[in-house]
Amino acid sequence: MRPPLKLFWALSTGLVLVVVVAAGALRGGTPLLRDADASAKGATAGESFKYWQSPDNPEYEAYREEPMPPGFQVVVADFEGPVFADERGRTLYTWPLRSLRNGATGDREGKPSACTDEVLRVTAGLMSPYPAGLLLPDLDTRPSCVDVWPPVIAPKDAKKVGKWSVIEREDGTPQWAYDGYPVYTSILDQQPGDVRGGTKMDSANDGGVVREPIGPAPAVPPEFEVIQSTSGRLLVTKQRYSVYTWDGDEPNVSNCNKECLTEWTPVRAPQIVTERDGWTIVKRAPGINQWAFRGKPLYTYNYDRGLRSFWGADVPGWHNVYTQRTLPPPEGFTVQDVEAGGEVLADSRGRTIYLYNCRDDSFAQLACDNPDSTQAYRLAICGNGDPKLCQQTFPYVIAPPGARSVGRLWTVMAIDPDTGRRAMPGQAALNVWAYRDRPVYTYAGDDQPGVTNGDGYGEFTGRRNGFKAFVFRDIFQSNAFRP
Amino acid sequence: MKHERPDTTQGRSTATHLLLGALAFGSLAATQPATAQALRDGRIGYVMTERRWAVYETEDGKTECPNGFNLGPREQFAILFPASSGKVYTEVESHLMREGLAFHDMESKEPFPFHDAQGPISYGLNLDGKIGPNDFQSPEGVKGVDNQLYRAIGCIGAYRLNGVVSFFDTDDMYDNGYNRWMIELTGVDDLVNDDDVTVTTYRGLDDLQRDGTGSAFAPGSTQEVDVRWGQSFISQLKGKIVNGVLTTEPIDRLKWPNSQPGVASGYYIIRGSRLELQLTDQVAKGFLAGYVDVESFSHQLNTNWATHHQSYGQLSASSLHRALRRLADAYPDPKTGVNTAISSAVQLTLTQVYLVHPQKKTVVAKSGASSR
Repeated sequence: MRPPLKLFWALSTGLVLVVVVAAGALRGGTPLLRDADASAKGATAGESFKYWQSPDNPEYEAYREEPMPPGFQVVVADFEGPVFADERGRTLYTWPLRSLRNGATGDREGKPSACTDEVLRVTAGLMSPYPAGLLLPDLDTRPSCVDVWPPVIAPKDAKKVGKWSVIEREDGTPQWAYDGYPVYTSILDQQPGDVRGGTKMDSANDGGVVREPIGPAPAVPPEFEVIQSTSGRLLVTKQRYSVYTWDGDEPNVSNCNKECLTEWTPVRAPQIVTERDGWTIVKRAPGINQWAFRGKPLYTYNYDRGLRSFWGADVPGWHNVYTQRTLPPPEGFTVQDVEAGGEVLADSRGRTIYLYNCRDDSFAQLACDNPDSTQAYRLAICGNGDPKLCQQTFPYVIAPPGARSVGRLWTVMAIDPDTGRRAMPGQAALNVWAYRDRPVYTYAGDDQPGVTNGDGYGEFTGRRNGFKAFVFRDIFQSNAFRP
Repeated sequence: MKHERPDTTQGRSTATHLLLGALAFGSLAATQPATAQALRDGRIGYVMTERRWAVYETEDGKTECPNGFNLGPREQFAILFPASSGKVYTEVESHLMREGLAFHDMESKEPFPFHDAQGPISYGLNLDGKIGPNDFQSPEGVKGVDNQLYRAIGCIGAYRLNGVVSFFDTDDMYDNGYNRWMIELTGVDDLVNDDDVTVTTYRGLDDLQRDGTGSAFAPGSTQEVDVRWGQSFISQLKGKIVNGVLTTEPIDRLKWPNSQPGVASGYYIIRGSRLELQLTDQVAKGFLAGYVDVESFSHQLNTNWATHHQSYGQLSASSLHRALRRLADAYPDPKTGVNTAISSAVQLTLTQVYLVHPQKKTVVAKSGASSR
C-alpha cells in the first residue's frame, strides 16, 4: 500500500520546497524475459519495483531548506535526490581533499581551488606502484581541470550566506565555496537534474579523489539518515540499520502485535515531535510512539544480518523504505540473483551489467570513464589497446531500434566502436545503452546468468580503471554500493 | 558406516603424520562431554577458519629457491623502464601496457627469468597414484606428491608463510562471508573409523565465532547454509575415515570461493579435487588437493589483487600465469592437447559448527556450471 499523494502533501509543511525534474513521459512496457534465467525479474515486474519506482510515482525526497546565494536553487534529481544548482540549474559539486596511496589531492577546506586551467602533462604518481612523471594519454586534446570543472564564480560583492562563502582563486577571481570547499559545475551535466559529474554514493579511496554533488540535508527526523544506494535514497536509522514497512498495516495504524513483534521492532519516536514532511506518529500504547513515514509505520528487522540491509524485504509483505527510489531501467533489463550473494542488474538474458570506472593519475584526477574522455585506459584493460578485443571482452549492451528510456538516467548513445568515443553524425555507430551518460557492458566470461566474473577486472579491483558489477544488493559486502 | 578399527600404528596418511602432534590437545578435548554432541544423527559440520596454498619452506628459501625469489611488478617495471635512461615514458607504453598485459598475456613471452621452486620435498597428496620424476616427497617421507603449483609459487614472496597472499587469504576471509566455506559429513557412525561417509560442501551465511581470546575460533557455533546464492558451491564427495583421517574420492570439479573485500567475485575451479583431513569433533585439519584450473587461478588473482598489493609480495600476475601454463600437468584441452590444470594442495583448518539447513533436500551444483 502506498500512501495517497494527498496525504503526503498534507503532511508537508510550507517550509519545504520540492522541485521535481526530469520525470520523463516515456513509460516502460511489459517485461522482456525472452531468454532470461528463471530467477531473473524484468524491469517492470512487480518484484523489481522494490528497487525503482514507477515514473508515475510522485514521491521525491523532501529536504531542509537553507539559505543560498541569490539565484541558486535546489533541484530534486531522479537518482541523487535534492542537489544544489546554479541559476541555470547546473548541479554543484565540491572536491574535498583525500589521500590516495602515495599522496593526496583535491581542495583543502578554506583554501583556494586546486583545480586550475593548466593542462597537466604527466602523472602524479599517487597510485602505487607506478612512478610519477609518465606522460598522460591524448595530450594533444587533453583538457585542463577548469575545462572539465568550471568554477562557480561569485560576484565581486558576494557575501557569505549560511554555509556559502567566497574563496579567492589564485588569480584573484572570487569563487563560491560550500562548507569551506570551492564549488564547481560539470561539463557532463547538460540539463537541470543531471548529476553526471559525480555521485553521492560512497567512493573507496582507490577510486580516485572524486567530485561530490552537494545538496541540502534530507527532511528526516534525527533518528534517521538517508544513504545513496544504486536503487535510490534508502532510509536507515542513525545506526544505519534498514527500516521497513508492512503491507499489513493501515495508514498511521500499526497492526504488528504479539508474534509480529518477535521479528520486528517498531522504530520509537520521542514523546514530543512535530509532524511534518511526511513524518507522523503512531501511538502504540500510552507513552509509546512509533515513527511512520508517508503514513506507514516503520520497523527494524530483528534478524537483519548487517547494516543497510535488504534481508527484511525477503519476508513477504515487508519492504525497505526510500525517500525516493530510482527510475526503472529500459525495457529488457532484469534483476538477477548472483552467486556473489545478492542481486545485480542484468540484460534480457540474465547476464550481469557492468559499469566502467576510471580516474586518471594526474593531480586533477580527471574522469576517464566516459566517451568524451580519453579511451586509452579502458582500451588497455579490456583489450590490451585493441578496440576489437575490447568489444569481445566487455561488449556494449546494444539498444534496439527505437529504444527509449524513462528520464535521463538511462539514454541511448551512438558510439564509434573503433575508438570508444561518441560517433559523429552520419558515422557508422553502435547504439548502446548508457547509464549516467556512460555505456554499460556485459562480460564475455559470464557464461551463464547468476555470475559476476567480470567484477574486479582492471586496476585496483576495478575501482580505479576497470569494471564493477551493477549491484543492487550485496549481502557479503555490507551493501557498500559502488558507483 | 562402521567397520573394524585397524591397527592405529599402520598406514598413517600424510595428514596424520603432519598433524598428529598438533592435534594431541584436540584429541584430548574430544573426550569432554560438552563436545561429544558435535556428531548428531550421523552428521557433523565444519567451517573453514584457515587456508593457505601449501608451500614447503626452508630458512630464507635457500634450498628451494637457490637463485633467489622472483621479481615483482615494481622490480620488473624498473628494468623495463629505467629512470636512468633519461627517457620520459608515456603512460600508455608503460603503466597501461603492464596493466593490460596482466589480463591479456596469452600472446606474449616471459621477458624475465622465472625461478621455479627446487628440491624434492613438498606438501600435498599423491593425486594420480603414481610416483613420477616431477613428483615430490612429503616432509614425512610419503612419495609421489603432486604439487606443481608449488614449483610456480614457491619462490614468490606473496605465497610464502609471511607473504601477503598467505596472510590475507585467511585474514580477509574472516569478515567476508562470501568465503564462508563449509563441509558437512553425513552417514557417520564413528568419527575415528567409518568406511562410508558423504561429504557435502556448502557456503554459510553467518559470521565466524571467535573464542574469548579474540584470535581463535570456538567450535559449536551455528551456520546457516546459503541455498539461495551459494548453490554453485555445493558439491558432494564420498569418503571414508581411517584412524581419524577423512579421505575422500576425487570429484571432477569443485568450485571453491576465494574473494577479497570489495570484490563480488572470486573462486578457483579445482579438478579432481579431494580432501584429506584429520578429524576431531572440534577441528578438521589437512588438505584440499586437486588440479586447479589455470585460468580460474589467474582470473581470481587479477580481479582480487591489485598490482599494488601484488607488489607487496613481488608477485607478477603475468609472469606467474605463464609459469602456471608451463607447469600445468593435467586435464589437457581436447583440441590443443595443452594441459589446463596444475596439481596443487591447500592447507586447511576447519572448526566444528552446527549447520542449519533451510531446506530438506540438498541440491548439488551442476558439474557443467560456470567453468571460469
